[in-house]
Amino acid sequence: MRTSRRSFVAGGIAASALVGLPRIARGAAPRVVVVGGGFGGGTAAKYVKRLMPEAEVTLVERDRQFVTCPFSNYVIGGIEKMQTITHGYDKIAKRGIKVVHDEAVGVDANAKKVTLKGGASLAYDRLVLAPGIDFVWDAVPGYSEAAAEIMPHAWKAGPQTLLLRKQLEAMRDGGTVIIVAPANPFRCPPGPYERAGMIAWYLKNHKPKSKILIFDPKDTFSKQALFFESYENLYPGMIQWISGKQGGKVTRVDPKAMTVEAEFGEEKGDVINFIPPQRAGKIAQLAGVTDEKGWCPIDPKTMESTKVKGIYVVGDASIAGAMPKSGTSANSQARNAAAALVASLRGQEPPEPSYANTCYSIVAPGYGFSVTAMYAATPEGIKEIAGGVSRLKAPAKDRDLEAAYAYDWYRGIMYDALG
Amino acid sequence: MPDPREAENVKGVTIPLALMATLAAGSALAAPTAETIARNCVVCHGPKEAGQLEIPKIANYPARKMVEMLTGFRAGQKEATIMDRIAKALTDEQIQALAAYFANQ
Ligand SMILES: Cc1cc2nc3c(=O)[nH]c(=O)nc-3n(C[C@H](O)[C@H](O)[C@H](O)COP(=O)(O)OP(=O)(O)OC[C@H]3O[C@@H](n4cnc5c(N)ncnc54)[C@H](O)[C@@H]3O)c2cc1C
Ligand code: HEC
Repeated sequence: MRTSRRSFVAGGIAASALVGLPRIARGAAPRVVVVGGGFGGGTAAKYVKRLMPEAEVTLVERDRQFVTCPFSNYVIGGIEKMQTITHGYDKIAKRGIKVVHDEAVGVDANAKKVTLKGGASLAYDRLVLAPGIDFVWDAVPGYSEAAAEIMPHAWKAGPQTLLLRKQLEAMRDGGTVIIVAPANPFRCPPGPYERAGMIAWYLKNHKPKSKILIFDPKDTFSKQALFFESYENLYPGMIQWISGKQGGKVTRVDPKAMTVEAEFGEEKGDVINFIPPQRAGKIAQLAGVTDEKGWCPIDPKTMESTKVKGIYVVGDASIAGAMPKSGTSANSQARNAAAALVASLRGQEPPEPSYANTCYSIVAPGYGFSVTAMYAATPEGIKEIAGGVSRLKAPAKDRDLEAAYAYDWYRGIMYDALG
Repeated sequence: MPDPREAENVKGVTIPLALMATLAAGSALAAPTAETIARNCVVCHGPKEAGQLEIPKIANYPARKMVEMLTGFRAGQKEATIMDRIAKALTDEQIQALAAYFANQ
């Protein structure tokens, strides 16, 4: 038995969890596989290893480098470089985590094996899936993966980020930028509106006759009053938001003609940033942990899939109650999942989780604001305990401080997830 | 790092998880440990390796001052851009436990 003497103290409650672990019970090191090396997966791998150094932790990540969506809007706005948002896996590999750069293409939950595109397969005792999102390419007629080369989404950071930036640089002064925002739920609820601010920052300084239209199927969005206040203060008249009620829902796009057809009518854009609807990354579907809408229901206390035992789903792919799909949420979910997973390997009850989210938005250098909350697990799901958004009409000093604090948040989360 | 199998109670005395679990089973006393909550704090406040420049460090922070700051933030009596909103999610017990935790980092 690997389990320590102390865990037997808790054994009265947890004894049933010891059943079904013959391999570990024989004394072998528990094997934990994590798929996806982003905010959720990086953090999960790191914390499993930290809480259970004897575990063999393998992180499977398709790409050699992780380019973060957080701060990618600042690259698009021209105030940051790709280098700032590009991170390697060397630091977490040094922590004793085996990093495998390959794509997971299948999960056999009965045999407890993950198969990789390269042909290998990985056996696990516990699996963490943190694949982030995939796009539903065909939700709007005219859009497709190929169309994304003309109307970039830039909702996974990397070449798409640069493509959108280059298109803005090439645009004439007096051009129209169209941002098509998705319906809920989607990755980073304030993201499209922060992006509008950042694009406006670039246009105001380089192409001041231009305008930005945001087409939206929604009637409200995250930090809305703060965004409107900032647009008014910084970019009066430049950004127009067309809500669902006003016919902002997009029904068709034409990448050749560079047009967007919405319920209220058709508009031509010089640059069109189309953000498609989303679902959990495909490996979640292959593993059988998604629901009919394409997202993953989880146990609010542990982040373990309610569909398949032994698989934990963290980050954007999960349905985490009141928590928005953010890097901070993914990071927080992953830490709590790691603790629950390790407890289950030790035959113990999961500890009570504590979840948190913060999303800073910067709409111009020195102009930031935030939404933050802490959350608890309840039998009805993950619920907000308290939180809120920055004050409206706050002094310029506060906006300036929050822009600086956003950078510290970024340093902190990158350290916690991949450092 | 404290043993993750133990939970810290309000006075910073550790009580075995078995007891916590028993308490949690039938009551509203289910509570995350100070360490579990604190992991959310260090995303912004950092260990120093993370390299934060502006957000104040809270490792080895005097416990009495932390209680004063957090209760002040919570009551809206201390100047804050964000801590007022975060502190509203903390109970008195959690503030005490966090103060004890950070005092020993
Ligand atoms: C423009 C924009 C701005 C944002 N700003 C913020 C912000 O300021 N703050 C914030 O908190 N959040 C922000 N977000 C949201 C944040 O990016 C996501 O919520 C976060 O990345 C989710 O983490 P995750 O671990 O679920 O997925 P990801 O971070 O996307 O990681 C998933 C990883 O899994 C890999 N992967 C997927 N499938 C496989 C497979 N089958 N095999 C191997 N590897 C695989 C991918 O390559 C990827 O590296 C922003 C998002 C956008 C689009
Ligand atoms: C989203 C980032 C963020 C998170 C998360 C966060 N803090 Fe803070 N903290 C700040 C900022 C920014 C300040 C400066 C005051 C302000 O503007 O709100 C601060 C100030 C403080 C201070 C006062 C320090 C001083 O000497 O002035 C304490 C104490 C503190 N935080 C404790 C905590 C604790 C405990 C937690 C977790 C429950 C926490 N913080 C979570 C950002 C954060």
